[in-house]
Amino acid sequence: MDTFWTQPFVYYFLPAFFTLAVYSFLFKDNPWFKLAEHIFAGLSAGYYAGLIFHSVIKQQMFVPMVSSGRYDLVIPGVLGFLLFMRFFPKGRWLTRIPLAFVIGTTAGIMFLQQLHGLVLPQIKSTLLPLNDFGNIVIVVGVLTTLVYFYFSKPHTGVLGGVAKVGIWFIMIAFGAHFGYTVMARVSLLIGRMQFIFVDWLRLVS
Amino acid sequence: MKTRIPVAVAFLSGFLMIVAFFGSGEWLSMLTNEALRYMTIVAGFSLLLGVVSITQVSWGVVRKRGEDWPYKIILLIALAAMTGFGVLQGITGGTVFEWLFDKIQKPMMATMFSVLAFYIASAAYRAFRARTVEASILLVTAIIVMIGRVPMGQYIYEDLPSVANWIMMFPNVAVQRGIIIGAALGAASMSLRIILGIERTYMGRG
Amino acid sequence: MANQGNKGFFTRLQNVDRRVLFVLIFASVIVPLFFPLKLPVPVTPETREFFEAVEAIPDSSIVMLPFDFWPSTLAETEPMAVVGLRHLFRKNCYVVGLSNVGMGGPSIADRLLDSIGGEFGKTYGIDYVNLGYKANYQAVMLGMGERIEDIFPTDHRGTPLSEIPLMRRVPNYDSVSFIFVVSDNVAVDYWVGLVNSRFGVPMGAGVTAVMAPKSLSFVQANQLVGLMGGMKGCAEYENLLGYPARATRGMDSQSIIHLLIVLFIVMGNVGYFAAKRKAKVEG
Repeated sequence: MDTFWTQPFVYYFLPAFFTLAVYSFLFKDNPWFKLAEHIFAGLSAGYYAGLIFHSVIKQQMFVPMVSSGRYDLVIPGVLGFLLFMRFFPKGRWLTRIPLAFVIGTTAGIMFLQQLHGLVLPQIKSTLLPLNDFGNIVIVVGVLTTLVYFYFSKPHTGVLGGVAKVGIWFIMIAFGAHFGYTVMARVSLLIGRMQFIFVDWLRLVS
Repeated sequence: MKTRIPVAVAFLSGFLMIVAFFGSGEWLSMLTNEALRYMTIVAGFSLLLGVVSITQVSWGVVRKRGEDWPYKIILLIALAAMTGFGVLQGITGGTVFEWLFDKIQKPMMATMFSVLAFYIASAAYRAFRARTVEASILLVTAIIVMIGRVPMGQYIYEDLPSVANWIMMFPNVAVQRGIIIGAALGAASMSLRIILGIERTYMGRG
Repeated sequence: MANQGNKGFFTRLQNVDRRVLFVLIFASVIVPLFFPLKLPVPVTPETREFFEAVEAIPDSSIVMLPFDFWPSTLAETEPMAVVGLRHLFRKNCYVVGLSNVGMGGPSIADRLLDSIGGEFGKTYGIDYVNLGYKANYQAVMLGMGERIEDIFPTDHRGTPLSEIPLMRRVPNYDSVSFIFVVSDNVAVDYWVGLVNSRFGVPMGAGVTAVMAPKSLSFVQANQLVGLMGGMKGCAEYENLLGYPARATRGMDSQSIIHLLIVLFIVMGNVGYFAAKRKAKVEG
C-alpha cells in the first residue's frame, strides 16, 4: 500500500538531494557540495568501523572463541591492536610485526599467483601457430610490447626499431582503453540520470 | 630486534605460503589456513587505522577552529552515527546502518564518479590532437572503438563493430598481455625481495 | 580581414566553453530516456561465450557469485549482478554470494540476493547465502580453497555456517561448479590467477568497461570462459537472456554521447590543423 513515505518522490528524496549536491560541484565548489562531501567521508569511515566490528571482531574472533573454544584467535587480535601503536611514538616499531605478517603472507601468495597464475598461462597462450594473421598480431604485439618496456639497453638500432613497433601497438591498445574508459564514465552518468528521471521523478516509465 | 623480528616474521609467513603451494599434508594445509585466517583478521584491523586517523585529524581541526571546522563537526557526527548504529544495531538489511548506506552514502559515491564523464569528455576535446603518428594511431583507435562498440556504430558503417572487436581481441590483447607479463614479473620479484628481507620500506623510518 | 575571421573561427572551434559541452552531455543522456531509439544491441563474441558457458552449467549446480564492486560503479556492475542472478536462479542454481570489497559490498550483495531471490521464490540459507566480507582478498580466496568455514565462520548475518543448509554442502571450491565474478577492481586478476589456475574452478567475469581491455587477455588465454565488458556487455547479456533491463535502456544514451564526444574530438582537431595551416600560410 502506498503511503506518504513510500511515494517515490519522498522515498528517494534523500539520495536525490545528495546526488544533486554532488553535481552542484560542476558549477563550482559550494557549501552544499562541502556538506555532502563531509557527510560522505564520515559515513564511509563509520561504515568500516561497523563492518569490521561485526565481520572481524565478532564473527571471526568472538563466535569461534565462544562456540569452538578457539582462544588462540586472541593472537591475531593482539597483532591487530599492535597496528595502533603507530599513534604512540615509543612503541611505534611494534606496528612492524603485524605489518610484516600481512605483507610477508601477501608476498608469498603473490609470488606464486603472479608466476603460476598469470605469467605462465599468458605465455602459454601466446605460443600460437603463425598460420593466421590474428595469431601473428598477438605474437608480434606481445614481443614488441615487452621489448618497449625493456629499459636495460638503449632503444637504438634493431632494438629501437622493434620498440618503435611496440609503441604503435601500445598506442592502439591505449586508444582502445581510452574508448572503454569513456564508455565506463558515461555509463555511471547514465546510471545517475536513470535514478533521477526514472526512479525519483518518475518522468519516464 | 626492531628490524630482525619483522624481517623474520615476513620471511616465515611468506615462505609458508610458498611451501604450501608445492607441499602437501594435513598439518601443512592446516597451518596455512590458520595463517590465512589470522591474516584476514589482522588486515581487518588495519582498516580501522583509517577510521582513527580521520577522527584524529578532524577533531584537531575542530579544536583549533581550522578551515571548514563546522563541516568537520558534521563529519564526526556522521561517523559517530554510522559507527554507533552499526555496532549496536547491526549491519544487515533493515538496520539504520544499512539505511544510511543505501540512502546517503551509496548515491553520493555513485555520483562522485559519474562527474568524471564531464571531465573526460572535456579533456578529450581539449587535449586529443593528432600531433604525431603515435597520437594519430591512438586517436583513430579510440574513435573506432567508441563508435564501434555502441549500438549506433553498425548504422554508421556495417563492419565497424567487427573492426572494433578485432582491435580488442588482437592488438589490444597482445599489448595487455605484454603489460600483464611485465607487471607480474615485477610483482613477483618484489614479493621475493620482501620475503628475503631485502625490501624493507614497509617498516617505515625509525 | 576574412583570414582573421577564419582564424578566429578555428580558434573558437578548439575552445568551446566547457559549460556548453557539459549541457550537451546532460542532454544526450537525458533525451534518449524520454525518446528511446531502441537500437538493437549487437552481441560481442566474449559475452556470447560467457552466456553460453553459464547456460551449459547443469541445473541445480552450486555457483559462487562474488560482488566485488564499489558503490561508485553501481551503474555498470549492479545490472551485471542482477542479470547473473536471474540467469542462475532461472536454472535453479544455488548461489553463494560474498564480497571482497568492504565499502558497501556486503550490503549490496544482501539487497540484490534478497530482491532477485524473491523474484524467483528462493529461500535464504537453502537456495542462496551471503557470506559477507572478510579483509584481504588474496587470503580469502586462497583460504576458501581448503575450508570456507575457516575464513567465514558465519555468514553476513552472523549465523554459523554449520547451521546454514546450503553451506553444509559447500566445504570448499570442490563443490562449486562455476564462479560468476562481478568486479570493478583488480580482484578479478586474483580470481583468475589464484582460484582458476590453482583450483581449476571455471569462471566468467562481468567487469567495468575500464577493466575490460585487460580482462580480454584472460578470455583469450581461456582463463575466463567469457566476459561482460561494461554496461554494453551487460546489455548484450540481458538481451541474450531475454530480460532487457537497465543496461539495455542505457544503450541509446551511450550511443548518442559517444557520437557527441567523437564529434567534439574531430572538431577540436579540425580547428587545430586549420589554424596551424593558416598560421603557416601567413608566415
